[in-house]
Amino acid sequence: MKQSGPEGFNGLELRELSRRVGAQTLVDELSFTVAPGEILALLGPSGCGKSSTLRLIAGLDPVSSGEIRLGGRNVTALPPAQRQVAMVFQSYALFPHLSVERNLSLGMELRGMARAEINRELEHVLALMQLQGLRQRKPAELSGGQRQRVALARALIRRPALFLLDEPMSNLDAQLRENLRAELRTLLRSTGVPVVYVTHDQHEAMGLADRIAVLREGRLQQLGTAESLYHDPANRFVARFLGSPTINLIERGSEQLGLRPELLELVEAGSPVPDGWSALEGQLIHREWLGDRVISHVRCPREGTLKVLSSTAAGGESLQVRWRQADALHFDAHNGERLPGSIGAQAS
Amino acid sequence: MARLLLLLWSLGPMLWQLYSSFRPSAALSGVDGGGWTLDHYRQLLQGDPPFLTYLFNSAVVGASATALTLVLAVPCAYALSRIGRRQARTLTLLVAAAVAFPAVLLFLALLEVARDWHLANQLLALSLPYAGLCLPLAILLLQAAFADIPIELEEAALIEGLTLWQRLRWILLPLMAPAVASSGLLVFLFSWNEYPIALTWLSRTDLLTLAPAMARIAGSSVYTIPFGAFAAATVLGSAPLILLMLLFQRQIISGLTQGAIKG
Repeated sequence: MKQSGPEGFNGLELRELSRRVGAQTLVDELSFTVAPGEILALLGPSGCGKSSTLRLIAGLDPVSSGEIRLGGRNVTALPPAQRQVAMVFQSYALFPHLSVERNLSLGMELRGMARAEINRELEHVLALMQLQGLRQRKPAELSGGQRQRVALARALIRRPALFLLDEPMSNLDAQLRENLRAELRTLLRSTGVPVVYVTHDQHEAMGLADRIAVLREGRLQQLGTAESLYHDPANRFVARFLGSPTINLIERGSEQLGLRPELLELVEAGSPVPDGWSALEGQLIHREWLGDRVISHVRCPREGTLKVLSSTAAGGESLQVRWRQADALHFDAHNGERLPGSIGAQAS
Repeated sequence: MARLLLLLWSLGPMLWQLYSSFRPSAALSGVDGGGWTLDHYRQLLQGDPPFLTYLFNSAVVGASATALTLVLAVPCAYALSRIGRRQARTLTLLVAAAVAFPAVLLFLALLEVARDWHLANQLLALSLPYAGLCLPLAILLLQAAFADIPIELEEAALIEGLTLWQRLRWILLPLMAPAVASSGLLVFLFSWNEYPIALTWLSRTDLLTLAPAMARIAGSSVYTIPFGAFAAATVLGSAPLILLMLLFQRQIISGLTQGAIKG
């Protein structure tokens, strides 16, 4: 992740990139860089502008203002084909009437590449993605995971200068998704080009990406490693979007306290509160037992229900929920901005 | 059971025609009982000009009208499916209005066009009004087919560096083969069966298409209806259509896009 001056940077760079359609702003002055070999996840709920951003980078939609630079070159106005980007679509967008092999080779054939060279590339990528046995199959005859591999292979065979992925896992079942995460990460890292990965799944972003950019309504909320986003969120939105179960928020006058479920402790009601700790009394209303951990839902009379994550189930119905004051994150109750005086002290 | 009835309802009359075409005239008018004959076919095929000339003329007009319609309709439909939604709606409405217009009323105007531009007695010229009349419907059909193709497929091709023509040739048209085939067949059928324009634009006997030619089958009047000859002409006239249907049967069965998007 080295950067040799803004002009000499040879990864992907967005400079105040915007896309407006009518009165709507889909992407709002977005700026960030992705170094060669780095995986950046664009994370956010649906409609946050992450896919719009990806389409701008790919050149599928026109840019309203701002600049896209790739390998030190301004590509803002270039058509998709000349940007040398590869994109994996959420639907994979495999050509249904062509075999796996032809899906991969069509682009090269039409660009007039020599047959021998096409075959060499084809063999290489088919072997890499373990698709040799499927080369004559049509997309309809493949499983979801196989289709994803073909889509990745089609992107890889382009030898792109930039790799874009739009929720490539969302059509796979949860088990497969988890298994593929490490594999995909290794594969993407091996290309040595910048990778932008769009997802709405925080686990995927945290498990795959080097850095995460959280978007909301087209605006960048925060950009950083998973740890820094989790422990040191810039605002309430980021704090709520990362972590499961979601962060507990309780009102404290003009402030809101953000309490991570795993940093809360459950003790018997009426226990003495140690120095530097705060506590609330409440009733246990529900308990989710997940094998390795337990999520206890504790209703506190004024603050609402708090979720507490622990490794063992606490006994009793009346409980005290307590936390180290230094562990609490403070947010402005009105605009959700993070307030000073609450440093992510627990960062390990 | 219902299917059998439907089959009987639609195929029965055709079989009756086939049967009639092989029966002697006397048997058809109920005078005499039995026997089989090829006379009707002989009469048609050895006529002046032979009946096959009409079939050939119809095929020429049908093929050129179909080709012309598709060549014009495919780009129109593609453009309509890719421009902004609001403009597309307005234009589609206009096209639909053209479909709804009673084409019979254009007949006299077309006659004047033929006279002024010297288009009479030219087979290929006949495909101009045919294509014109079929174009709106073909555009609507193809537009719907284009709209059914996921836009990501074209975007993926765009990123691969395929030009507009390459995207049409290698991605879109193969996926639209069923729609193109059925639109094409529709145009062909229309041209094959069309009567009033063919009747007025063509006067030379050797240029007649099937419909006007059948009307002229020798000796037809209310008093002596040549049932047998008509039946034979119907059989000969529908045989190419049946052949065409069989040929494109596979294309017409759609569902080809299945599997493009998650399954």
